[in-house]
Amino acid sequence: MILGIGAGAIIAALGIGLVLTYRSSGVINFAVGAVATYSAYVYSSLRTAGTYPIPPLPNPLAIAGGPSLPTSVRFGSSVAETPAIAMALATAALIGLLLHLLVFRPLRYAPVLGKIVAAIGVMIVLQSVVLLRFGAQARQVEAILPTTPVRAFGATVPADRFVLLGLVSVTTAVLWLVFKYTRFGIATRAAAENERSVTLLGFSADWQAGTNWVLACTLAGLVGILVVPITGLTPNLLTLLVIPALGAALLGGFSSFVIAAGAGVGFGMVESLLLIMQQRLAWMPKLDLVDALPFIVIALAMIMRGRALPSRGAVQTRNLPDAYASGMSFRAFIVLVLCVVAAAIFLPFDFRNGVTVSLIGAILCLSLVVVTGFVGQISLAQMALAGIAAFGIGSFVQNAGLPFALGFVLAVVAAVGFGLVVALPSLRTRGANLAIITLASAVAIQYLLFERTGWFGVSALGRKSVPPPEILGLYFGPSTRFPIGDSKIPQPGFGIFVVLVTAACCLVVTALRRSHLGERMLAVRANEHAAAAAGVNVRVIKLTAFGIAAGLAGAAGALRAVQLGTYSPGSFDVLASVSLLVVAYLGGISTVSGALVAGSLFTQGFWTVVTDRFTNFGTYQTYVLGLALLVTLVTVPEGLDAYHREVGRALKRRWRRPEPPAVVHEKP
Amino acid sequence: MSQRILDFQDVDAGYGGVAVVRNLTLFVDAGEVVALIGPNGAGKTTTLMTVSGFAEVLRGTVRVLGRPLPKLRRAHLIGRWGVHHVPEQRGIFYGLTVEENLRLATRHGRVDLDRAASYFPVLESLMSRRAGLLSGGEQQMLALGRALLSEPRLLMVDEMSLGLAPIICEELLPIVRRMADETGAGVLIVEQHADLALEQADRAYLLSHGDLVFDGPASTLRDDRGFLDATYLGLGGGEESAP
Repeated sequence: MILGIGAGAIIAALGIGLVLTYRSSGVINFAVGAVATYSAYVYSSLRTAGTYPIPPLPNPLAIAGGPSLPTSVRFGSSVAETPAIAMALATAALIGLLLHLLVFRPLRYAPVLGKIVAAIGVMIVLQSVVLLRFGAQARQVEAILPTTPVRAFGATVPADRFVLLGLVSVTTAVLWLVFKYTRFGIATRAAAENERSVTLLGFSADWQAGTNWVLACTLAGLVGILVVPITGLTPNLLTLLVIPALGAALLGGFSSFVIAAGAGVGFGMVESLLLIMQQRLAWMPKLDLVDALPFIVIALAMIMRGRALPSRGAVQTRNLPDAYASGMSFRAFIVLVLCVVAAAIFLPFDFRNGVTVSLIGAILCLSLVVVTGFVGQISLAQMALAGIAAFGIGSFVQNAGLPFALGFVLAVVAAVGFGLVVALPSLRTRGANLAIITLASAVAIQYLLFERTGWFGVSALGRKSVPPPEILGLYFGPSTRFPIGDSKIPQPGFGIFVVLVTAACCLVVTALRRSHLGERMLAVRANEHAAAAAGVNVRVIKLTAFGIAAGLAGAAGALRAVQLGTYSPGSFDVLASVSLLVVAYLGGISTVSGALVAGSLFTQGFWTVVTDRFTNFGTYQTYVLGLALLVTLVTVPEGLDAYHREVGRALKRRWRRPEPPAVVHEKP
Repeated sequence: MSQRILDFQDVDAGYGGVAVVRNLTLFVDAGEVVALIGPNGAGKTTTLMTVSGFAEVLRGTVRVLGRPLPKLRRAHLIGRWGVHHVPEQRGIFYGLTVEENLRLATRHGRVDLDRAASYFPVLESLMSRRAGLLSGGEQQMLALGRALLSEPRLLMVDEMSLGLAPIICEELLPIVRRMADETGAGVLIVEQHADLALEQADRAYLLSHGDLVFDGPASTLRDDRGFLDATYLGLGGGEESAP
């Protein structure tokens, strides 16, 4: 158990970094682990090669065959320990300052969801810089802290674990004191609640938020530098530790440094304890409990502690883009569907694939439109629910030998069932808390279902496959020869099937938005208290929305499974769930058209194919996409769909007499 | 002659380049209570927001303690000049305790919590309670108590009566009067409920649709109900019915 102290200290430190940022700017900084990783790489690079990395910058000269920009600055063959630490910490502080000035200050009035998406975007950018500059190879870093073995409680542990633990404890105590007793701390808490009122009192909320960003990032950087000698340095390790750190911060209600730190250390210890028990006790299930169990505990704790409605004095800040009802006529819709069918048949093979990927992505985004756009509940588990259907259809059709149609329906039903379970915490928690609990559900589903063998899990080879689809003797798999068009894979048959399913899903969501049920959903999104007072059963609405959304995600997951043929849990893991939310938000989270825009932005989707044809970003693709995401968010905080609508309205105003649009306004 | 605390000279002010108040000339001297009254949408709140740096001055000059206002983005500086603005929603922080709210009164120096309690005794027993759990009247007392502790030269209170029982307002307004008398601060109160404000004020300004329609001793308006009613109900208003 003592062995877990090291891991626990890292989780705790990242956890208090999360709390610090959240309390000062209301941002859940998913990138805190990535900042730690980046600083650690800067340190390691300075120590071993004496070079300071420069992130890739746009270089117009390179296109014309000119010289490429330098990738690093050289400081001799190696930099001594102290200056290297100082430079790495200064880098972390600079990242904090830039994040505040360039990203989160412009976004301070954006919806909570917009800030979450931006933080994830920052994480993607930092991680891609690490990959571009340092590669995916794991590195060893020489120890900074003393590693003399110390005997404690019957185990021998290197001393650096205890130094780390002490450091975390001191930081926690200092932060606790500052936030409780100093005017800076109190004003920071006040600013998180109401920036304008703090300004009226003569405080600069902007300066405070900036200071806290710098503090939090420097802290993360310090953790990164100190722990990589213990853990080794890989691009993903610390970045992904943000997930248990989020759990720890959540247990502290994103406000208590002490609980967050304690929970972080606790997680580390429980994990090592579980590992030992699995090794020693025969009856312990050999599941990946280590990663999933803390989350189940958090989810239960939050459900028990939460309330059915926001409590008195709770601050409600929710402000999502308007949920327009589609104004398209049915006839126009049919024409559009036929056009897409034609595209799925006659376009070149890479575009055909792009259309299929985009449409499946659009269905996934539609599921978020229902649950987040209409009801305002942030779900980070939709990709896991899609995975349930994907692994379900594999189990039903490939393993149990059921017909495709029946397997498809059963897979969707299974997704709905799990979706309702995932929805349970939403009855008593909301906002950012719910987002993290759903993330926890996604982790639990991934480790407890997908990554083991059997029903809803992988086969012995760590993969799952599904045979080509067939209904009434008609085969339409991606590689089944279609009578029209060229012979390249994917064949249009499956594409047409996807178009039809997508069209059906769009109709369902449009009808839902126009129905009375849809109106009640929007009422819950606007104000749960008011909705309840008007006779809306808030719980039933939330469960219904999660159920419908899970059905949509399930349909998409099953389609994705068929498209891939053979797939692994990685396609439906936590990162996939998180990126899904990012893309869906960027497209426009509250409208059907937004979901279609978002679908086209998927990796290997329509836009990827188009940009691949005409440009060559190559290895820089993720980096460029991440930056593009951030730029779009800062300039259009409500998503591309809202932007298109603005442009459309401006054009209409110019050419026609204005018509009053069917708008559902939501007051913040 | 008492010091001029706030001085509007022929000011147009508003948001996004659109004027909400026009041609406003208004001043507040130390130690006096000035009422700014008018119906909904008259531009009362905008006037206060202009002083606090959240609305733009489009024309004319606004001087606070003889100094012109800083740029819009540096609105927090005005709070440091000794201007305390209690906004319509009272500006208290629901997540903080009463004591923590009071401690935010100034950026430096000790905060004398007992002083707030001497004006508002009920706060004493509520010090460790979260402000979000206070009643509307208690919240307003907290806001005024914090204003008092910040030792303002200019105190602006927006819609004190909002959401409060009239009887509580009747209690609070004399305390505001007392603050002006005892500390020498200039007080500008915005009210829709004109009667309450006029009882305590020395002078009054009456706004209607962004225009100043009356400027003079509060007692004049108190005595001429007909003019006040006409302005509020939009019946002609303006000069023709003025005394």
